[in-house]
Formats: sequence, structure tokens, C-alpha cells
Amino acid sequence: MSWLSEWAAYLPQLMSGLGVSLMIAGISIVAGYPLGLVLSVMVTAKNLAVRTLALAVVEVGRGAPALVILYLFYYGLPKFGIAFESITAACLALTWNSAAYSSEIMRAGLQSVARGQLEASNALGLSWRHTFFRVIMPQGMRSAIPGLMGVAIQMFQGTSLAYAIAVPELMKSAYNIGSQDFNYLQIFTLAGICYAAISMPATWITVYFERRLARQT
Amino acid sequence: MTLSEIANGKVAPRTGIRLDNISKQYGSNIVIDDVSLHVEPGTVTALIGPSGAGKSTFLRCINLLERPDAGTIQVAGHTIEPGKVINAKDLAALRSTVGMVFQSFNLFPHMSALKNVSFPQQKVLGRSKSEADDRAMQLLERVGLKDKANQHPGRCSGGQQQRIAIARALALDPSIMLFDEPTSALDPEVGLEVLAVMRELADDGMTMIVVTHEMQFARDVSDTLVVMADCKIIEQGDPRAIMSDPQEARTRRFLRAVLER
Amino acid sequence: MDAFSAVLQGLPMTLMLTASAFAIGIVGAVPLAVGLSSSNIVVRLACRLFVDLVRGVPIIVWLFLLKFGIQIGTFKFDPVSAAIVGLGVVSVAYLAEIYRGGLEAVPRGQGEASGALGLSRGTTFLHVMVPQAFRIVSPSIATYLTGLLKDSSIASTIIVAEMVFQSQSFARQHPTMEGILPYVLVGILYIALSLPVAYLSRSLDARMRKAVYV
Ligand SMILES: Nc1ncnc2c1ncn2[C@@H]1O[C@H](COP(=O)(O)OP(=O)(O)OP(=O)(O)O)[C@@H](O)[C@H]1O
Ligand SMILES: [Mg+2]
Repeated sequence: MSWLSEWAAYLPQLMSGLGVSLMIAGISIVAGYPLGLVLSVMVTAKNLAVRTLALAVVEVGRGAPALVILYLFYYGLPKFGIAFESITAACLALTWNSAAYSSEIMRAGLQSVARGQLEASNALGLSWRHTFFRVIMPQGMRSAIPGLMGVAIQMFQGTSLAYAIAVPELMKSAYNIGSQDFNYLQIFTLAGICYAAISMPATWITVYFERRLARQT
Repeated sequence: MTLSEIANGKVAPRTGIRLDNISKQYGSNIVIDDVSLHVEPGTVTALIGPSGAGKSTFLRCINLLERPDAGTIQVAGHTIEPGKVINAKDLAALRSTVGMVFQSFNLFPHMSALKNVSFPQQKVLGRSKSEADDRAMQLLERVGLKDKANQHPGRCSGGQQQRIAIARALALDPSIMLFDEPTSALDPEVGLEVLAVMRELADDGMTMIVVTHEMQFARDVSDTLVVMADCKIIEQGDPRAIMSDPQEARTRRFLRAVLER
Repeated sequence: MDAFSAVLQGLPMTLMLTASAFAIGIVGAVPLAVGLSSSNIVVRLACRLFVDLVRGVPIIVWLFLLKFGIQIGTFKFDPVSAAIVGLGVVSVAYLAEIYRGGLEAVPRGQGEASGALGLSRGTTFLHVMVPQAFRIVSPSIATYLTGLLKDSSIASTIIVAEMVFQSQSFARQHPTMEGILPYVLVGILYIALSLPVAYLSRSLDARMRKAVYV
């Protein structure tokens, strides 16, 4: 009972943190997916320089831990005189992450579109743009949907790392509350519940889409 | 030695099957509706009928891969009724007595042909490895695949895989063999290899029920032809008689469709 | 001391964390995966809830919960054990889900054929399902291992002296341009470390494909 009343007292403070988390996640997704699409096309480019650049961006975004990218933006770049607010650094780092991960998923999605579709479009004399945007993309993106939703969940959870650069998101708010009266167990449990309350249903929806897609193909 | 003698060590104990008033439904979808079938020991029954008639389901009821909702099954010394609890040991015994061959072979892809045939003997009948391997080798030789013993199924053609699958079932000394469209996934030519093995098995006096679209096999080899349609047996009797003069319009339509292909 | 050797100081800890958590996960996920595919709905739902809950909470929260939240009598987690246990539990959940997917991907006919031969459920599971499932999931397991390697960096937030922690302290001591180096190096190191795993998984996959199917 006492836990519940304490939780009720903590909740407003925690909610503002959650708002920040959601905002960072939202920005990294909204900015990351279009970038991911561009990267997914770039990595298949004929031009070697373009392809290498895109590949490097993707490999670093996926291969380096999010925390490292976060630190690079927040602590590393200022040493060259390029300084960001902590929230901006978090958004930039997670955008890089989400662009890299989503590009891989979209590339796989686009590649899964049967070759015959491309051949049929060419045979019909469709322009490159029509072929890509009207034929290939709608089909490829459909199979990419569950994966992209997975990335979104990953990004939301990834915002918790912004704690490490003192962004006032959910985790940081929880830590602040906890360090006031040392009831870490309660406050981190509550924080965990907040994350789970969003991640778990989102996962279930993703699984639902995955199943539906698997049935249709 | 004949195929079933090798399989059984000695001569097969001949048993028949009695299925009385079997019904089965999935949810509200009735798949088998009050079907009875008696199979005499040592006879071959060919089961034909259109897709979705319930042939596979009916066959799978015999070795209890599906439990029927109603009706009695008497097979291999067991009587199975709805609601009757059958323990794991009896179930294993029943299933090893009733061999089954699937359309898609279902060989274990991670085991060699020899292991596919030998491994179930060790686990189900408790045979020693050397005994099981010997028996497996004999059977593989008999189905013409001695040289494939150490190959994995992925390296064998469909016809070879199906013959290994038959050897695998025979290795457990079944007195009854069930075949569910054993040649449907095969090229016609390759299917002949499999049909030859089945023909031989029939000549040895194995009790067999064969779901098939191979009309020539049904006519030449089977003692009884059973036609299923719409969840029921609509006609059964002498294969030649039914094929030349079907009594039911549904049978006639089906036969015409099969023969005209 | 130069940036690279500073980062390398944390390498043993990073590898230790990753290996320990992975070991916990590989073993602990087995019973959980069995539970996830159990025909008993209560068992299945309980396991499902556990897996989804563990995965639904960010790793950093689990680490803080263990490090700061747990006090039983005089027992408290030291940072390293908190990291190992936290990362281990998370691995259990993720790997269980991977195993379950593998078991489900084994064709239905395999279970049916085993049943028709009279093989017991235990034999079917151990000798028919598991070997095939393992082959199906081994690439996913390798991918998860590289993910775990990266996630071990989160232990730096509870003051475990692994690579990212060491990079941080070096950068703090070097406010000049040199201070960016450890971040770049540690990033490259993570990517370099996951290469052998990817390579191993590919060759393992090829070898097993050969051993298993040919
Ligand atoms: N496990 C199941 N759950 C629900 N419905 C099923 C199941 N198995 C079979 N059915 C349905 O039962 C009906 C009969 O199926 P069955 O496989 O026995 O037919 P069949 O005569 O063997 O056909 P085919 O020639 O295509 O193999 C079909 O309508 C099928 O959709
Ligand atoms: Mg069928």
C-alpha cells in the first residue's frame, strides 16, 4: 500500500521524464526512417564512393554501441568546438542509430520484392521513378513494417541511455527522485513499469503484424 | 527373403483393422462423418477421392495422430474409443505396429539414411545399435539404396527419400502400413520406384491402406477400392468393377477428372 | 598513456561481462524456451509474460535496479555482479525467444513422423527438434552475441571498468582534441570485435550445414 502511495507521489515527476523520452524517440524515428530509406538505396548504388560512405554510416550506426555514439556527440565533438545541448546530442545519436538499423531492414524489404516485379515494370516501360515508388517500395515497405516497429521500440528503450549525458528523461528523473530519499527499489521498479507499459503492448502489436504478414505471403 | 520377412525377422503377424462409425470435426467444421471401414488382414485398400474429402484425416485417425470424436477403432490388438485414456507406452507400441508413410517423406534431415532407419528401432523397440544398424542395412539394400546409407536425405532424390521413409517404417516390424499419397510429390518416373517397392510389400501380404491418385496401382494392386467424398465413404468394392462401372455420380465425376489428366 | 591503451585496459572486462552473460543466457534460455512452447497454457503464458517483461524494460533500468535497489540483509550487488546478473537475465529472455522461434520453424511433419514412429516426446524433442532448431537459430544466436557485446557497454553506467568506462575517464583527463580519440577507437573496437563472431557464425553455419545435411 505504501508503495502505491509513494508511486502516486512520484508519478508526476516521472511523467515529465517520460514525455522527454517519448519526444527523443519520436524525433529519432521521424528523422531516422527517411534517412534509413536513403541509406538503403545508397548502399546499393553503382558509385563506389557513395556506396562506401553509406556502408560506413550504416556499419558504425549498427556496430558501435548507442552509448558510444552518444558520448561521441556529447563529450567528443565539443573538443573540436562543436557543442550540443544534451537533448540535441541524444536526438542526433539515436537518429544515427535508427537510420542505420532501419536502412538494413528496408534494404532487406526492398530486396525481398520479387525480381519479376522489376522485370514486369521494365517490360511495361514504367519510368525508374514509377517503378521504385509505385511498384517496388509499396511491396518492400510492407514486409519491412514489423522490423521498423521493432526499431521504434528499440529507440524508445535506447532513450534511457541518454541518462548518461544527463538528459532529463525517464531514467534520469527516476534517478533524481531515488537519490533524494534512497528508495531506489520503488522508483526503479516504477520506471521499469513505465517503460514496459509502452514497450510490451508495442511488441505485441509488432508480433501481430508479423503474423499477419507471414500468413499473407 | 521377402521385404516383410526382412522387416519382421519372420513372417508378419497378419492383422486387420476395424473402424466403426468414426467422426471427426475441427471446431464446427465436420471432416469425417460417421465412416466405417473393415480391412481384412493381408489385403490392400486403396483410398481415393477429391481434395478435402477427409482422406488424410481418416488415415491419421488409424494411428491416432488424430483422435476421432466418435467411433471405435480396433487395430493391432488395441481398441480405441473416445474418451479412453491410452498411455504413452501403448500409444508408442500401437504406432510402431502401424507404419506410416507421408507425402512429404518427413525424413530426419540431420541424420544419415542409415540413422533414419536405425534410430527409431533403438528408441522404440530398444534394439542395440548394431542390431538396429544391421536391420537398417538389410532394408536399405532391399529398397535398392544400400549405397545411400551414409548420405543425408538432402542428398537423395525424392524417390530415394520416399523409399528410405518406407524402410524406416518397416524397420519397426509393422503389421499394417498406411500410405498418404506417397508418390504425389514425385515425378511420375521416380514415383514408379516407390510404387514398385509398395507392390512388393503387397505381394508379401502386408496389410496396407493407400491414399493415392495412381489409378493403375489402385486397379492392379488393391483388393478393395474405397471412394471418399464430402466426409463420407460413398462407394467401396472391387477396384475394377468400380472403375469400369461406378455406381455414384460423384465417383464417376472424380474418376473422369483423374483419368483425363 | 595513449588513448588506445586506455581503451584496451577495459577490454578484458568487456569480454568477461559478455562471456558470462552469454553463458547464463545460453543455458538459462533452454527451460524457458520449453515453457514458451508448452502446451500448458498457464506455463506458456507465465513464460511469455516473463520474457516480454524482461525485454520490455531497458537494460540500464535492470542494472540500476540490481545495483541500487536490491539489499537483502547486508547483501548488496557489487557493480560487476549486478552487470553480469542483469545482462544474464536479459540474455535468457532474448535467447529463449530465439530458441522458441527455432523450434517452431522445424517443419510440422518432423513431429508428426516422430509420433507416427512411436518415438516418445522426450526423444522427439532431444533428437529430432533440438538438432534442427539449433541449426536454424545459430546465426541468430551469433547476431545476439554481437548485440550483447555492445550492450555490455551499459555496465559503464554503474561504474564497471569496461571499455566505455575507460574511454570516458581518458577523455575526461584530456580536454584537448585528443579527447575524442577514445570514443572513435572504442567504436571501431566494438565493430572489429563483432567481425570474428560474424565470421565464426558464417563458417559454423556452413560447417554445420555440411555436417548435418550432406
Ligand atoms: N488440423 C486441422 N485443423 C482444421 N481443419 C483441418 C485440419 N486438418 C484438416 N482439416 C480440414 O479437413 C478437411 C479434410 O482434410 P484432409 O487433409 O483430410 O483431406 P484430404 O482428403 O486428405 O485432401 P487432399 O487430397 O488435399 O490431401 C479439409 O477441409 C481441411 O481443411
Ligand atoms: Mg491428404
